[in-house]
Amino acid sequence: MAPGHEISVDVDRAELFCCACRDYVYDRDFDAAVVLSSKANYIHTNVNSDNLRKKRRIVEYRPWLPDIQERVLVNNNSSVLSFVEDRPWGLRGLNNLGNTCFMNSVLQALLHTPPLRNYFLSDKHNRYYCQQQKKSGNDNGVVGGKRSNGGDGNGGKGLRLCLACDMDAMFSAVFSGELVPYSPGKFLYSWWQHAANLASYEQQDAHEFFISMLDGIHEKVEKDRHKPHSLGHGDCCIAHRVFSGILRSDVMCTACGFTSTTYDPCVDISLDLEPYQGSSAKSVSLKTHSCNGEADCKNSSQNGGISTLIGCLDRFTRPERLGSDQKFFCQQCQVRQESLKQMSIRKLPLVSCFHIKRFEHSSIRKMSRKVDRYLQFPFSLDMAPYLSSSILRSRFGNRVFPFDGDETDASNEMSSEFELFAVVTHTGKLDAGHYVTYLRLSNQWYKCDDSWITRVNENIVRSAQGYMMFYVQKMLYYKAGEKQVAQ
Amino acid sequence: MSVSNEDNMSPHMQLSSHFFGDLLDSIIVDVASECHRIARLGLDRNLEEEEEELRLSAQARVTVADPSNSGETNGKYVVDIFGQTHPSVANEVFDCMNCGRPIVAGRFAPHLEKCMGKGRKARAKATRSSTASQNRYSRGSPVSAYSSYSNSASTNRLLNGTYSHTVEEYSNGTCEEP
Repeated sequence: MAPGHEISVDVDRAELFCCACRDYVYDRDFDAAVVLSSKANYIHTNVNSDNLRKKRRIVEYRPWLPDIQERVLVNNNSSVLSFVEDRPWGLRGLNNLGNTCFMNSVLQALLHTPPLRNYFLSDKHNRYYCQQQKKSGNDNGVVGGKRSNGGDGNGGKGLRLCLACDMDAMFSAVFSGELVPYSPGKFLYSWWQHAANLASYEQQDAHEFFISMLDGIHEKVEKDRHKPHSLGHGDCCIAHRVFSGILRSDVMCTACGFTSTTYDPCVDISLDLEPYQGSSAKSVSLKTHSCNGEADCKNSSQNGGISTLIGCLDRFTRPERLGSDQKFFCQQCQVRQESLKQMSIRKLPLVSCFHIKRFEHSSIRKMSRKVDRYLQFPFSLDMAPYLSSSILRSRFGNRVFPFDGDETDASNEMSSEFELFAVVTHTGKLDAGHYVTYLRLSNQWYKCDDSWITRVNENIVRSAQGYMMFYVQKMLYYKAGEKQVAQ
Repeated sequence: MSVSNEDNMSPHMQLSSHFFGDLLDSIIVDVASECHRIARLGLDRNLEEEEEELRLSAQARVTVADPSNSGETNGKYVVDIFGQTHPSVANEVFDCMNCGRPIVAGRFAPHLEKCMGKGRKARAKATRSSTASQNRYSRGSPVSAYSSYSNSASTNRLLNGTYSHTVEEYSNGTCEEP
């Protein structure tokens, strides 16, 4: 606090009042002391974090310019792609291989996930090199290293299964400038080989596919390195480096205030649709069959109480009273007590994927149904209110204090702003629906419907029925779009 | 309560009224103090931005729902952004990675499912109705069986942008299983 204040203390509220400013003033040290004393009175926090206190390195963004030697190398070894002014790179339809829109929709989102795209396009995972390495590792058959740019089907046999290699091949194909739709057959083949082991082979849900393929990329890299990585840090593989965040879960004893905290890594956040308030439930169920995605939000717009992504996140992070049937054992009381549970986000991923639970399964009635309801999602999203630091702060009367050995808020704030760049939508019914992805490139929206890529108005996206929403940290989004902005 | 009332109150009532006033003031200051803290420290949420997003969303839904500008909303495509048009079943041909036979892209998934000998079909076989399975499993070679896949399934696609086919032959494309 700057000098020159004439401080008095509001004892009732433990706040500082300055007679010179004629206002309440706030001080970090004072707040920390207040929290500390209140904690000492009734709260003992038990934190079992492993190595979460790793110092965050701040790396400045530096554009890369090749020096002369590099330029010669680049010139001699690359073919120049024809540049077309009015459309961004990497837009290419994906052929439907027979009800594979669930896969195509997610692949389109991944192909335009800025950090993932930068990784593969900057040759961080070279499929020729990767396969060669593996081959030398085990003398097993032929390397099918035919350089077919964009083509696939060049002999999967003899090659070792590596989803990252298949991603690499797909990135080259999609960013080759070729316009005819690409057939991700090799990818499907590899993924099925991978997913068959996990017995999730039959799941044909876009979200299921997303999880399974990230897992596939992670697993292979893990195996190859023979290095134990803790999943939580998210620096084990490109899939986790981009998508993994850490969730914090606090369970608080309602009798003594003892809090037990656990941290879990996650690659996405699954959110429940808010239960419906109001009378529009009927009208929604009536119109579900007119499955023309874009036009199906008429009814819910009339009532003010529409579901929102922000509402879902609020619900996700609010304290929830656990029922008396699931009491937890309080280490301090040494008995089972009723408790409050609260989730928050300890570490935000570079790319946040929100999955809206639209498919409900009832094991009692042995049936599934799709919740066909509009959910509003913002194009810009500030995740700051859902961070552990904010949640904890509000739990302690918004006192400013360093929690859990955490870095200061400044670095959090910088990365808590996100921009939407892809929306995977589902239209139609549970058993006969269709997935379509909307992509935002240079602030123009494109609809990727299997082999069809069309330009769409942002209104279509805003009113679409989102199933998976992909947000990227604003910093990265801006950097990614910079080139186009400059033109 | 007004001041004039206070004159004809008993001292006891005056005292309670005074306490009540104090408590009320204190609660109001509590709330004010919390809000002041949040505002001063910049912890309040950007409600204006949230409201703006909500407004845009509501507006978008009205616009899209309006039948008079359905230009972009119907699922029927004429050409894509590259000026291309695509068949309802992708007709590129490539070799199956598993068996090496040339397969039409649009029928690759059902082929591969069988070719790899795994998955839903193998298990679902027992439970399917006999008419559906007859059609599928009566053929001798896997290659000749594809012709039976060209059912009416994907023809609807172009018209409404969705798959509304009868999920007989290759039902692996849609959603989740229970």
